[in-house]
Amino acid sequence: MSTTDLEILQRALLRERKARKAAENILEEKSRELYSITQQLKEANEKLQSGLTEKTTELQGVFDNLVDAYVLMDLGGNIIKLNEAAKELFGYDVPKEAVNVVRLIYKEDFNYAMLSFNLLIETGSFSDYIARVYTKNKGVRWVHINASIIKNSKNKPIGAQGIVKDITDQRAIEQQNNKLVQDLEKSNEELAEYAHIVSHDLKSPLRSINALVNWLREDYKSILDDAGLENMRLIEQTLEKMEHLINGILNYSSVNNIAVLKHEAVDINSIIKEIENTIFIPKHIKIIKKQNLPVINGDKTRLQQLFQNIISNAVNYIDKEIGIIQISFEDKKTHYLFEIKDNGIGIEKEYFDKIFKIFQSLGNNKNSTGIGLSIVKKIIEIYDGEIWLESVPKVGTSFFFTLKK
Amino acid sequence: MKPISFLLIEDDLIETLKFNRVLDTLKIKHSVNRVENGEEALEFLKNTDEVPDVILLDLNMPKMNGIEFLKILKDDRVLKYIPAIILSTSNNQKDILECYKIGIAGYLLKPLKYEDYSLKIKNLVVYWSCNEFIKV
Amino acid sequence: MKGIVFTEFLELVEEKFGLAMVDKIITDSNLPSGGAYTAIGTYDFAEMLSLLTHLSEQTSIAIDDLLLVYGEHFFSVLARSYPQLIEKYKEPIELLSSIENHIHVEVRKIYPDAELPTFEIVEKTEQALIMIYKSSRAMSKFGLGLMYKAFAHYNANATILLDKIKVDGTEVKFSITQN
Repeated sequence: MSTTDLEILQRALLRERKARKAAENILEEKSRELYSITQQLKEANEKLQSGLTEKTTELQGVFDNLVDAYVLMDLGGNIIKLNEAAKELFGYDVPKEAVNVVRLIYKEDFNYAMLSFNLLIETGSFSDYIARVYTKNKGVRWVHINASIIKNSKNKPIGAQGIVKDITDQRAIEQQNNKLVQDLEKSNEELAEYAHIVSHDLKSPLRSINALVNWLREDYKSILDDAGLENMRLIEQTLEKMEHLINGILNYSSVNNIAVLKHEAVDINSIIKEIENTIFIPKHIKIIKKQNLPVINGDKTRLQQLFQNIISNAVNYIDKEIGIIQISFEDKKTHYLFEIKDNGIGIEKEYFDKIFKIFQSLGNNKNSTGIGLSIVKKIIEIYDGEIWLESVPKVGTSFFFTLKK
Repeated sequence: MKPISFLLIEDDLIETLKFNRVLDTLKIKHSVNRVENGEEALEFLKNTDEVPDVILLDLNMPKMNGIEFLKILKDDRVLKYIPAIILSTSNNQKDILECYKIGIAGYLLKPLKYEDYSLKIKNLVVYWSCNEFIKV
Repeated sequence: MKGIVFTEFLELVEEKFGLAMVDKIITDSNLPSGGAYTAIGTYDFAEMLSLLTHLSEQTSIAIDDLLLVYGEHFFSVLARSYPQLIEKYKEPIELLSSIENHIHVEVRKIYPDAELPTFEIVEKTEQALIMIYKSSRAMSKFGLGLMYKAFAHYNANATILLDKIKVDGTEVKFSITQN
């Protein structure tokens, strides 16, 4: 080998060595890069992992802690998943035990269940399904179910999920309440019925006494003196008062009888007109409508009773030479506010509450039984209203009341 | 003219006296048979040859009440043609409706004052004495 | 320029002309790297130009012809290193028409800093392909060598015409017709 060749080889070797070192450096650099990238990836992965775990735990928490039972099933009715509440309700530990929902449907509710299932398939959901189910440990329970279809990403139905509420206790309470309400209605009705019978029994003797007094006067006219005749007149007056009282009680007891309440459009203007024709209004008293009065939905008899009782009260207690009873109203969105104002004797403030209580008659008026205003209050309560008054003794009184539209 | 005959179903003695007293003041020929309750009335109607022209009855009676009696009366092939008029102190709408449904010829509310009562009964008797009756 | 282009080039020179020629052109080129190339390194393109120029001087072979031969050789290097890249294509025309949209995309994944020529397709049929080569390196003949070998790889051959759109060879039209 010549020196030149040797030199060439040496140079080639040198180049190789240099290239190798360069390559090693590059590789080392790359490995460092790789290592740090790997580290970063690892961290990112860990973060993702913990994030995912967090989300999953969160969801699991929500799922488990749902107060209502959650049931997930396939389209064949096989239960895939139950949350804790559902396991507790039905008593099955899915997926350890295989359960089909058909097994849970109460025999008599089967047709209803199938109809609801068809609805679910056709429309994608059903709500307010209320029926009975068999449970493993709790016997037959009443449940309320809202359910919807679950679709895959291709919009194909793959299963159904439902929120199941155990309403057994709630139903029992509702039924109990319904029964109570029914009983109450019945006893109310019986009470009204009873009032009629009692009032009849009370009224009959009054008629007899009246007849007997009448006959005494007729048959013994010649031997009765003025004092005797006056006493007989007083007996008759007392009988009238008694009759009035009995009728008052009868009216009061029948106000509550909601069963006979009608719901019709009642023109208050025509009610006032009718009252003017019904009760005796002396010539010196005028009833003035400040404006045209509204039409109210309600029972005509009751509404007339309401206005009539207040107006006749006003009429009875007017002591002025010219009596004025003014009726007006304001539209208060949900209610009408009425005012019936008179220039009568007025009422002392201490009696404001008392006058609405039954048998509380303030004056010694023979037409007053003390029942009229308590009936008024009862009627107003039926129409979700309130009644109050403003009064200045010797000047006059304003009754305010609201009636629901 | 044939006298008009009444069957008064009334448990209260004074009510009966009132009725008779009013009728006695009238110049119309009449006869009144009085029984105390629905059962007695049915008994009377079963055994009598003289079916009354008009029946007057109180609704509130002991034993069988007025409405029960009315139902039996109006179910009877023969007796259902007798006009029945209620005399009552009660204006209970439910009762009045029920009575007209079964078939009554009138519903008279007994007023408190004897004078008013007297006037009502007079009018009633005068009215029915003008009517033609049918005997089956 | 990627180191593999240098190492493969020098290997080819050694094979064809001997180690002395390699030593000669490296020494004459007076390179910043000293000619110590590693396939995974990156070197200035000017070094390649210098090596080619000196080889052309020593061998009296035109640079374009040298590039053509080197291109033919380099195809085998690619075929050996990235067989799956080539196996993807059933036809050579398919392979060539995918240089821009597929092969260069893959190359960039491995060598993000690689400076690659562009091949813009003007016309393509089953049997023919017209592409415009653009590169500041003006190494269209290297590409031509690669293409010939690509056809050979599929046991096919083709007539490839080159038209310089720019005189300096930085833009060249390839008209390829498979025979």
